Amino acid sequence: MSDTTASDSTSTTEERPAAAAPPADERLAYRSVFQRLFVRPEVSAMIGAIGIWTVFWAVSNTFGTVGQTFGWLDIAASLGIMAVAVSMLMIGGEFDLSSGAMTGAMGILIIYIVKDTGELGGLGIPLALALPLSLAVALGIGYLNGFMVERTGQPSFIITLATFFALRGLKLGLSKRAVDQIQMGTTDEASDYDFFRPFFAAEWQRNDHQFEARDVFYTAFVLLGLALIVLAVCELWFQRRDTLEPGGLAQFLGGTAVAVVGVILLHATDGVGANVAIAALISVGGLAALHGFARWRYEPVAEPGTMQLDPAMRRRVGLGLGLVVVGSAIAMLIDSSSDGELFFPFTTQGVRAMLFVGICAAGMTALAMASQKALSVNAATKFVVTASMALGMAIVAATVFLDSADTKFRGGLFSVLLAIAVLLFGWAVVSSRFTERRFVDRAADRLGNRVIIAGVVAVGIGMAFRLLFTVEDEILAGIPPAKTSIRVFWFVLFTSVMVWVLANTKFGSWVFAVGGNKEAARQVGVPAARTKTQLFMLVAFAAWLVGILIAFRINSIQANTGDGEEFEYIIAAVVGGTLLTGGYGTAFGGAIGACIMAMPLIGISSARWNSDWRFLLLGVILLLAVVSNRFIRLRAEGIRR
Amino acid sequence: MNSDAPLLELDQISKYYGNIIALKDVTTSVAAGEVTCVLGDNGAGKSTFIKTLAGVHQPSEGTIRMQGDEVSFTSPRDALDAGIATVYQDLAMVPLMSVWRNFFLGSEPTKGLRIDKKAAKETAKAEMAKMGIDIRDTEQPVGTLSGGERQSVAIARAVYFGAKVLILDEPTSALGVKQSGVVLKYIIAARDRGLGVIFITHNPHHAYPVGDRFMILNRGRSMGNFAKEELPRDELVRMMAGGAELDQLTHELETARID
Repeated sequence: MSDTTASDSTSTTEERPAAAAPPADERLAYRSVFQRLFVRPEVSAMIGAIGIWTVFWAVSNTFGTVGQTFGWLDIAASLGIMAVAVSMLMIGGEFDLSSGAMTGAMGILIIYIVKDTGELGGLGIPLALALPLSLAVALGIGYLNGFMVERTGQPSFIITLATFFALRGLKLGLSKRAVDQIQMGTTDEASDYDFFRPFFAAEWQRNDHQFEARDVFYTAFVLLGLALIVLAVCELWFQRRDTLEPGGLAQFLGGTAVAVVGVILLHATDGVGANVAIAALISVGGLAALHGFARWRYEPVAEPGTMQLDPAMRRRVGLGLGLVVVGSAIAMLIDSSSDGELFFPFTTQGVRAMLFVGICAAGMTALAMASQKALSVNAATKFVVTASMALGMAIVAATVFLDSADTKFRGGLFSVLLAIAVLLFGWAVVSSRFTERRFVDRAADRLGNRVIIAGVVAVGIGMAFRLLFTVEDEILAGIPPAKTSIRVFWFVLFTSVMVWVLANTKFGSWVFAVGGNKEAARQVGVPAARTKTQLFMLVAFAAWLVGILIAFRINSIQANTGDGEEFEYIIAAVVGGTLLTGGYGTAFGGAIGACIMAMPLIGISSARWNSDWRFLLLGVILLLAVVSNRFIRLRAEGIRR
Repeated sequence: MNSDAPLLELDQISKYYGNIIALKDVTTSVAAGEVTCVLGDNGAGKSTFIKTLAGVHQPSEGTIRMQGDEVSFTSPRDALDAGIATVYQDLAMVPLMSVWRNFFLGSEPTKGLRIDKKAAKETAKAEMAKMGIDIRDTEQPVGTLSGGERQSVAIARAVYFGAKVLILDEPTSALGVKQSGVVLKYIIAARDRGLGVIFITHNPHHAYPVGDRFMILNRGRSMGNFAKEELPRDELVRMMAGGAELDQLTHELETARID
């Protein structure tokens, strides 16, 4: 992927300089891998989502089940379609307070149009006409929002507030007129309801879909995805060598083969002894593969040196490991079987978990910081300090294994923590033996980023197999039925299309431009007013889609449906990393934000917390997201501003 | 079309905002491969002058001719299509967007629906190289560039998109000495590529080295058009500062230094 066109005498080649002399361009400061990753807002949102998922998984017995996952995915779907559209509008620098009310209004409008003319109001027109008709109305309202904002120059906040109240009134009025109730029903009165139902309300009964090879696909995709992510981080982290080392490739392939055989054996066998042996086999294969991969592609460290732990470094490592030990000891000391409230609102187990997680996390952070510093000493020191992170993680894993009441911790969490410990050890080996890249290499960055995205997609596909299909053993064990609906498919589709549009089209570029600097965009010929109006119409389109989904899901719609939800869309967008002032953000972040918002709705009840706490939690999440987004962006951009 | 006529000619242009006279009977011209400097202090009418040329405002009186033909612009797009590109003081750049996206903003090359990113990046790099601008990484946000570099991206963009006349609004006012020198170099580069450049500034020391002709604005009126030969540098500086007023000021400042 080297740049061949810019061979002009005045331009230097942009791509990687000769490995022997890497000083690249003195004007471009090198940014560390973490800076490069976290400058993408959706990365921190995703880590937040994983964190929230883990918390609810830990405190509730049912949150991780397929049924509950479908539950929050379904909430995330209608929230997310709107959040993605609202994210784009916010990137374009505007708000739409009417978006929430619009979803309900579109549902009611559709029902009003299809309703049998019989006794009271309604038009009695089939859905085939009602859908395009309501779409026209939605786009018209969106256009009106955009037109008014552009024409009056007033903040969209005020204009759409007016639209919001108008829609509220319209919803009530239409409902009262048609059925003399504040509830409007029903969608299935439409003559062609049965034709359209599969498109908007098709359901997937998991227990009706047996697929015995499911776990093969699940394991394969998830492991493939995780491996891709690890290798991509290597690509971002290390300096490529001039000529590839074929011996390394052979080792990589050999190690991978051993690990794959191990995974297959693990599937086939049972019993603790066998599992331990096979886990060791997988670890060895995986580590060999990682090391081989690095040997194949990256520049080895010339002079490893001898280990030197100066007092400051020794203090850091000691502090880190000490904290991990203390945290583990506290967890051991507090009785894991005692239940009950210690003091409001904390239970004994809650306090135990918080102390354990908090103190150990602090310890691991101290170790990570030491590891970061260690490289400036020499490679041998780097190895020892990073390996101490692996040790710390192993201690945590052991504590979880020895002292948890619940099998899900002793089994699942223990395995994950142990795998992380092994990976950290591998990282200690690799990061101390190969040269960290200290200059900008766009080709490597691009490849690394693409592979990370491929890895995330692969993990997602693997999860989908697990969620969508059941196997005979589960049915025999009497797994409760679970179902999902086509709404999630619409969510994924809409998000994918919008992510693509934002990254690849003129329109996408213009959205960033009008949000970032509207006057500048206008002066170079971007139709700023039109772009913004189109964004309002996009939000209206999303509201129309969600309106249909609501109408098909619950069949009869309350007049206040959607009112107030516009703030949840905005929160989801902000949680996903979109800047309130416009010009910065992603559509994918909005989708992740919607998942973060949806998880507590299901999680709070499955943790048997009082659901009144929901809004408190949403507020705290928003606050944390805003603060951490800002903190991370400032750190990540460091040199930027 | 008349090939002898200057590229852009302004004849007796006036602009009123209600009863406020922002510009009165301003006449000047720029030829291909020439730099016309428009000098004026704050409030002299420079902004109105630019906006009139750029199609943001229509002149209340007077005519604009391009290559001898009378034209009238109703929008910035009109002026752009006619070949008048304006680089504003606020840079007309979106700071959080990458250099290549800014370079092609509003005129992105497309392949089907999608932007042809590869071509766009390569073109942006090559075009800037032709102007002698070495932007190493077209992916970096414009906000990370220095003021001089941003100006040069804007100038290279205007040149690439076929501008015949380049209007620069105080491109050096926010820059340090060295950066200003860089921008002046790009002005020369644009001139040498056959563009007519209108360089608006309040700094005669920046204008004099690059200008072929000079027009001085004061309180919305032109104080005359001069070719470089007719106007020594000191005279330009004097006129720019309002001549007698500057003498007065110099005197005041000197007497004030006694303490």
